[in-house]
Formats: sequence, C-alpha cells, structure tokens
Amino acid sequence: MSNRTLPRLLQTPAVILLLIWMLVPLSMTLYFSFIRYVLNNLRRPEWTTPSIENWRGFGNYNFVLNNQDFWLAVQNSLLIVCSILFLTVILGVLIAVLINKAFPGRSLVRVLLISPFFVMPAVNAVLWINMILDPVLGLQGLAVGGINAVIADLQNAPIIGPFFSLWPALEPISFRATQTSAYAVIIMVTWQWTPFAVLIFMTSLQSEDQQQKEAAILDGASAWSQFRFLTLPHLGRPIAIVVMIQAIFHLSLYAEIEIVSRGNGNKNLPYLIGEFANNNIGAASATGIFAVILANIVAIFLLRMIGKTLME
Amino acid sequence: MAIVAQNSKYGKAGRTILAWGVGLLFFFPIFWLVLTSFKTDADAVKPEFLFFFTPTLENYLNMTENYDYWRFATNSVITSVFATLFTLAVGIPCAYAMAFNPSRGTKDILMWMLSTKMLPAAAVLYPMTFLTKSMGLFDTHFLVIMVLSLINLPIVVWMLFTYFKEIPKEIIEAGQMDGVNTLGEIREILIPLAWGGIASTALLCFIFCWNEAYWTVRLTTTEAATLSKLIEGNRAPEGLFFGRLSAVSAAAVGPIVVLGWFCQKQLVQGLTFGAVK
Repeated sequence: MSNRTLPRLLQTPAVILLLIWMLVPLSMTLYFSFIRYVLNNLRRPEWTTPSIENWRGFGNYNFVLNNQDFWLAVQNSLLIVCSILFLTVILGVLIAVLINKAFPGRSLVRVLLISPFFVMPAVNAVLWINMILDPVLGLQGLAVGGINAVIADLQNAPIIGPFFSLWPALEPISFRATQTSAYAVIIMVTWQWTPFAVLIFMTSLQSEDQQQKEAAILDGASAWSQFRFLTLPHLGRPIAIVVMIQAIFHLSLYAEIEIVSRGNGNKNLPYLIGEFANNNIGAASATGIFAVILANIVAIFLLRMIGKTLME
Repeated sequence: MAIVAQNSKYGKAGRTILAWGVGLLFFFPIFWLVLTSFKTDADAVKPEFLFFFTPTLENYLNMTENYDYWRFATNSVITSVFATLFTLAVGIPCAYAMAFNPSRGTKDILMWMLSTKMLPAAAVLYPMTFLTKSMGLFDTHFLVIMVLSLINLPIVVWMLFTYFKEIPKEIIEAGQMDGVNTLGEIREILIPLAWGGIASTALLCFIFCWNEAYWTVRLTTTEAATLSKLIEGNRAPEGLFFGRLSAVSAAAVGPIVVLGWFCQKQLVQGLTFGAVK
C-alpha cells in the first residue's frame, strides 16, 4: 500500500453515503415516472404495485404537462422565487451599504438584523400568518381596526369632521386567500432571507478597494456615482451568488407554503408533488423530474462559479 | 470645507438613525413573538393590550400540557446532536484526505458533493417514504439522524476543507516523519490545530439540522417528530391560542437564534461555499 492510499481511502465513506443518498431515490423517481403507479385504484388493482409491465412511456409527463395545476404551480413557484430574489437583492444592497460604515451600536444592529435568518421556517410562517398578518386578530387586523376607529372619531369632530368623512374605512387584507397567500409567503421569506443577502454583501464590501474610492472622492465623484461605478460592479459577483443560492433554496420552499396555503389553490412545485404523492405516484415522479431539471438550470451556473474559486 | 463637514455630520446622524430603524424593524417580528408569549390567550388578541398588559408565565409553564413541548424538543436535540456528530465523523476524514492528499479528482468530487445539495428534496419524496416504510425506518430517530446528516454532509465537508487548507502541510508531514499513523495524525495534530474551524462548522450544522423542515415533517409522525413538526401541526389556531402558540414557538427558536449570533461569519462561508470572501 503506497503512502497515500490510506489517506485517500478516508474520503470513501462520505462519497459512498452521498452516492447512495443521491442515486437510489432519484433512480426510483425516474423509474416511477415512466410507469403507471397509483396507490388506490379499485378498477385496476395491478397499477397499485410498481412493475415494469405497467410501462407508460412519457404518459405521466404528458399527463403532468396537460394538467392545469402543474402550470399554475410552475407559475406560482416562479412568481414567489423571482419576487423574493428581487426584494432581497435590492433591500440587501441598500442595507449593506447603509451599515457598512461605522456608526454607534453597529455590531448590535448587525445582531438584530441577522436574527430572522435563524428562525425555523415553520415558526416563521406561523408567526407571520397568525400573529402579524391575520386580518382580524393579528397585528394587521388590530392596526386597521385602530386606524378606522381614529378616523371614525375624527369624522365626528367639529369643523374638520366633514373632511375626514371623505376617507373610506380601511379593509384588512386576508392573506389566506388563494390570490394573496403567495404574497404572504413572499413577505415572510423576504424577511428571513434579506439578512442573508445583507451579510454576504457586507462581507464583500469589506474587500472593496478603498484607495480607488478615495481617488474617486478626490476627483469629486458624487455619492451616487461612487455607488454606481465602484460599489455596484464590485457587488456583481456576490449578487449573482446570492441570486443562485436563494433560487435553489426557494424552488424547494415547503413549510411556508404548507402552513400558509393548505386548503387553497396556492401551490408551488414541491407542494404539488406532495399532493400527487397521496395517490398518483407516476405523476408525482414526473413532476419531481421537472423540478430537478428546473433546479439544475440554476445549479450548473452556480457550480461553475464556485468551481472557479475552489482551488485558489 | 465647513459645509462638507457639517453635511457629513448630519449625514452620519441620519445614517445612524436609519440603520437602527432598519435593524429594529427586522427584529420586530421576533420581539412581537416573545411579547405575545407573555400574554394570556385572551389578552393576545385584544387591541387595548397591544403593548401594555400584565405579563404572565402561564404559557411557558403549560407548554408540556398544551403541546407536549419537551418531547418534541428532546427529539430535536437528539437528532440534531447525533446528526452533527455523525456528519463530523464522516466529514473530517473526508476533508482531511481532500486537503492534504488531493488527487486529480478531488475538485470534481467536491463539486459533485455540492451538486447533491442542489437537488430538490421533493423530487424524491415518494421513494423516500416508500423505502423508509418498507425498511421499517419511518418515524425513527435513526432515520431523521441519517437524513439530516446526509443533507448537511456536503456543506460540512466543504467548510472543513476550506479550514484545513489553511493549515501548512509541513506540520502534518512532520507528524508523518514521527511515525504517527493517519488516524493518529487526525486525532493528535489536525483536530487540535483546526479546533476553531471544526467547532464553528459543527455549530452551523447543528443550526441547519434544528431548522430543517421538509424531511422532518414528511418522514415522521409522532415518535421522532421534531419541533418543526410540532409547530407545523399547530399552524392555524384561529386566534384562540396566540399566547400559548407564541410561547412554544419562542421556545423553539430562542436558543438557535442566540447560537446563530455567534456564527455569522461561518454562515457566509457555509452557505456560499466559499465563493464570497
């Protein structure tokens, strides 16, 4: 045995474990996606056990592609992911630039800011949808009720009353409805992931070229053009990484969707897969393969970027 | 010049206020959760008790009765601790091999490991349910520990690898000269040297295990159910139990948020795979 064989063997447990973890379930998904496989079917009991004889070819893929729920779920997944990306990047850059320079209590503000990121997703969703966004009993409902009460009081006031009587009473928004529950998810995930973006952008801002910046100030460059021509280009790469990592995480959002929108039409891909998996395993598997393809489109770019810095 | 100086003085005050405002705004929902947890269920939904109320510990004292909190919390602790230990036990030798005895394939193996992290979990939902049920592993601590280990293994290997790379090879080689075998090298040279890096990797891994919310919800029912499952099961109290639900939620996230404060730096590394420095 050469001097280096044993050390190299030490990586095999990790590699084998991950290989099994990746290959076994995924190849089963691939297999199930090509056969007829349902959990309950009284008329065709032979479909309830997975077997190569129930081969369906691309039938499940066809079924999924012609299913309206699938397209709604894709649309909804993309709406949620893109909105979150847009909001977290904009807010992240602004906040990172804001707290990049020293000010009293900076480290405490950092601690306050990063906290949401460590809240478990289930608590995040329960907290927002109930205690904060509930249209009657949550903070939103209470706030809207309070404002309406103030307006009502003002309407009865002498002289200025008629002016306020033109104001309509505010209506609280119900975030559990089909049309609005996606917004609730966007709000809560943005709250949770903006700190992540801030943290990464701040790390990157710390390596910004200060001499270049000083030269720009001496040349009389305005704060805006310093930001536009120095800071923003410097942040290009971290922004790309934040976008890709978040895209991968948010394409598989589950707990938030499950908690906010159980029982209404607001589904994303993982949620739809869970629904199919209650009975139609073939369709669930085909949808799963589509989800893998969607995630891989992002992952390829991300891996290429990581690969470039890997061995530096 | 005077004008500029004055401007920047006001600018600084304004920036300080704005920054504090943003920080407090982001922290507010957590503050609100903790505040509500000290209200009775009845007070929690009354507008007159928004900020001023008679605080009560009742919700925390009744957590066991109302939610069986400690059973779920124990499961969370057991699964997260053992998953972290197991991940380190597999990850440290792997990262050691990659950092000190790299071969031509090392980079590809690392990239492949990361790519497993990017597969959407939902895609293998049914096979996992099917396999675990047929092997009798569904809803067991062992299963949760294994799943949590495997989903965090790529990040842990990656982080350890970046820490180990910083250690001069000569130190490890000196150990080899002295005739220490490989395992002894890891135990007696590598681990003491990279202790800080290993500790922060473990901390981050523990946090990720604790917060995991897909497999812990889908692959458990009662026996091995963690806090994610507990909270998810009480998702819609319709305003009746805001006080007690806030208390149990605050108890579920409190320790982790505090732990999180100590590993902000590692978080950047762990989640960007070192691509942002």
